[in-house]
Amino acid sequence: MSAIGEGLLEALRLVVRGDAELFAIAGRTLLVSGTATALAMLVGTPLGYLLGRARFPARTLILAAAGTGMGLPPVVAGLVIWLLLVRSGPFGGLDLIYTKQAMIVAQFVIALPLVTAFTAAAIQALPPRLPDLLTVLGAGRARAFWLLAREARLGLLAAVIAGFGAVVSEVGASMAVGGNLAGDTRVLTTAIVTETSRAANERAIAYGLVLLAMAFAVVIVLTVVQQRGAR
Amino acid sequence: MPVRRLLAAACALAVLAAACGGSGDGDGGAIILATTTSTRDSGLLDELVPRFERETGIRVKVIAVGTGAALRMAGEGNADAVLVHAPEAEAAYVASGDLVGGRLVMANEFVIVGPPADPARAAAAPDLRAAVAAIAAHGRFVSRGDDSGTHQRELALWRAAGVDPRAVAREETGQGMGATLAIASERRAYTLADRGTWLALRDALDLAVLVEGGVDLRNVYRVHVVNPERHDGVEAARAEAFAAFLVAPATQALIGRFRAAEFGRSLFSPAAAAGGGG
Amino acid sequence: MEARLEGVAFSYGDRPALETGDLRFAAGRVTALLGPNGSGKSTLLRLLAGLERPRRGRVLLDGRPAPAARAAVAYAFQEAVFLSGTLRANLDLALRLRGLPAAARRARLQEAAAACGVARLLDRPAARLSGGEAQRANLARALSLRAPLTLLDEPLAGFDERGRARLLAELPDLLRRFAATVVLVTHDREEALRLAADVVILREGRVCAAGERRAVFAAPPDPETAAFLGYALVPADGGLAAVAPGALRPGPGDFTLALRVEEVVDLLSGVEVAGRVGGERVAAVFPPDAPAPARGDRVVVGAPAAAVVAFPAPG
Repeated sequence: MSAIGEGLLEALRLVVRGDAELFAIAGRTLLVSGTATALAMLVGTPLGYLLGRARFPARTLILAAAGTGMGLPPVVAGLVIWLLLVRSGPFGGLDLIYTKQAMIVAQFVIALPLVTAFTAAAIQALPPRLPDLLTVLGAGRARAFWLLAREARLGLLAAVIAGFGAVVSEVGASMAVGGNLAGDTRVLTTAIVTETSRAANERAIAYGLVLLAMAFAVVIVLTVVQQRGAR
Repeated sequence: MPVRRLLAAACALAVLAAACGGSGDGDGGAIILATTTSTRDSGLLDELVPRFERETGIRVKVIAVGTGAALRMAGEGNADAVLVHAPEAEAAYVASGDLVGGRLVMANEFVIVGPPADPARAAAAPDLRAAVAAIAAHGRFVSRGDDSGTHQRELALWRAAGVDPRAVAREETGQGMGATLAIASERRAYTLADRGTWLALRDALDLAVLVEGGVDLRNVYRVHVVNPERHDGVEAARAEAFAAFLVAPATQALIGRFRAAEFGRSLFSPAAAAGGGG
Repeated sequence: MEARLEGVAFSYGDRPALETGDLRFAAGRVTALLGPNGSGKSTLLRLLAGLERPRRGRVLLDGRPAPAARAAVAYAFQEAVFLSGTLRANLDLALRLRGLPAAARRARLQEAAAACGVARLLDRPAARLSGGEAQRANLARALSLRAPLTLLDEPLAGFDERGRARLLAELPDLLRRFAATVVLVTHDREEALRLAADVVILREGRVCAAGERRAVFAAPPDPETAAFLGYALVPADGGLAAVAPGALRPGPGDFTLALRVEEVVDLLSGVEVAGRVGGERVAAVFPPDAPAPARGDRVVVGAPAAAVVAFPAPG
């Protein structure tokens, strides 16, 4: 009990004092997870759109793969990316291992199936004649994509929320491919692991609270946008 | 059109991330140091690495894993240097030629900690073997179980005492020293810890040092450089610079003083001067 | 715009849906696609709109393949589909996708909405329109495009009886004002007669008859088509005679039948008297002032030769 209470106090102290390390780590977390989610949107939204609309032979297979990928433990994704990026791996020459870029790649892999599956579901939930209508009205491919994405915006925002929520809270992959380097690749989740192993529980709880607050802030912004669109 | 704005934001973030690429590297390049969790958890590397980086401009990426995993990373050329404490396991990599230029950096001790009431009466045993046998017979033991240097030493202790670890009331955590100590404390069990981590964490634990001292509990840290002739891409020169830095007199003095005031004794004793190469 | 199908065959997967042979929709005319449910009417519209590609043959609009000529087509689906937003936004989008400047869009939109009776609904969310309102809005969207080829799929479905009657009365004028060549789908003979100059009759994916409506209605090519058009099929001379709907009058004619009266229905404008000939229900209309027969009476009714088509027995 007292450890939790002290953790809360410590968290408040760190925030009020403007603790440089805390803010650096939180900012880095936002940058890495935000970028990974953004990239997953850039790829996953068109891919999910295609899966939701078109009929082609590999479609069911890809949808099943995306569904399975949603349940992929981050640490497995981390291990695979680690094996690919490590010096003796096939992409070792890129010298990306233990960098923020490597973390972004791993988190991208974690978020992509979520974004893709959510997008496909959102597109499929639209009235079935809507794509035909846009074709008949003369909307080109890009225009039809924009208009249908706009119709499915509630589902697409759910995709962003799910993707961001998954990557900002994962620890296994960030630890494996980022290396938890202080001042470089340490994010909130891996910092919590570090502080816990040093028995600095108050600081760990403080980081946990900041992580929660940050995830909450991002989700609340997205939800406000989502619900405004619902009206 | 919120969707368009959303994707625009996504593009902007991606560009930003690309722009921040490589910001981690100093002017002098970087090396990957694979090491054990105990050196990281004690905070020693947080002290030494920034100093080295300031002096040389070489950035050190400290990857803290178990000793076994650290050695495997080195053996596959995925690290430039290792700082580990498992002499037997190290010897195999030195023999295969994966590791070169090994040298002693520092030493401390392992200690056997357990519930202060000492139900197995390990503290009263005449020697280390008898203490281990007593724990095997009457106590519960929590093991790291993660192929770390500490885990390997624990297995060596059972072997020396003629005990089959499978016959002991023994659980493996698969986690680091800090987590393993916490579990041992909660379960009123015995465990093997390095003194540095023990001293750093003891205030939060309901455990006491029951067995200490003696050559069999000596914990020796060595630094090795990964052999560039066996692995492509190894930054041997920079790794060598780091190894040399660790054994330099100024660094050794720093190691001796590390957190000594806080705990009333040093966590690590500098060992380079004591000689004894790989 | 002239639309042509040349030897077109189409199937959904393995299920054949349509096999038209050669078919032509004349420029500047209204053609009704008439047929029972599942006869391939909507599929034919989708082919003309370029939404489907024929498995065989070609669909040509003024000589160009259908998908390429998409900008020349306006298409109102049977179920009105709208994007989120107001009706105005929906109508505006359709015009914007055709590349019209803002001023022209405003004028076109207002004009079509007023003509179709939805001007007061323009600022409502399209999703909140009632069934009839949505259908009129759907029509307004298609007509506002003033397309060379306008395709209407069951434009009178989804209305209550009064709403349907009103729009049925307005439609010929609307089509004259806003459309050039029109192909409309209906399963109702009366709608086809009121709206179209030409008729194509489809059954089970095949074209049974096509041409000017009077010619098609007056000369069904086979008994099934005749039955679909409302003809009564009665045995005659070892084959069948098809009598046009509403052609039978009291008393003998060029073609005379004797009936035992089974039903008498007073329609106010006249009295419908029905009985059976060879199992087929046959009805004649007696004038309201004439003495009406009672059930069980024997009556003689006749039709002019022009209203009767003979189908000799096969073989």
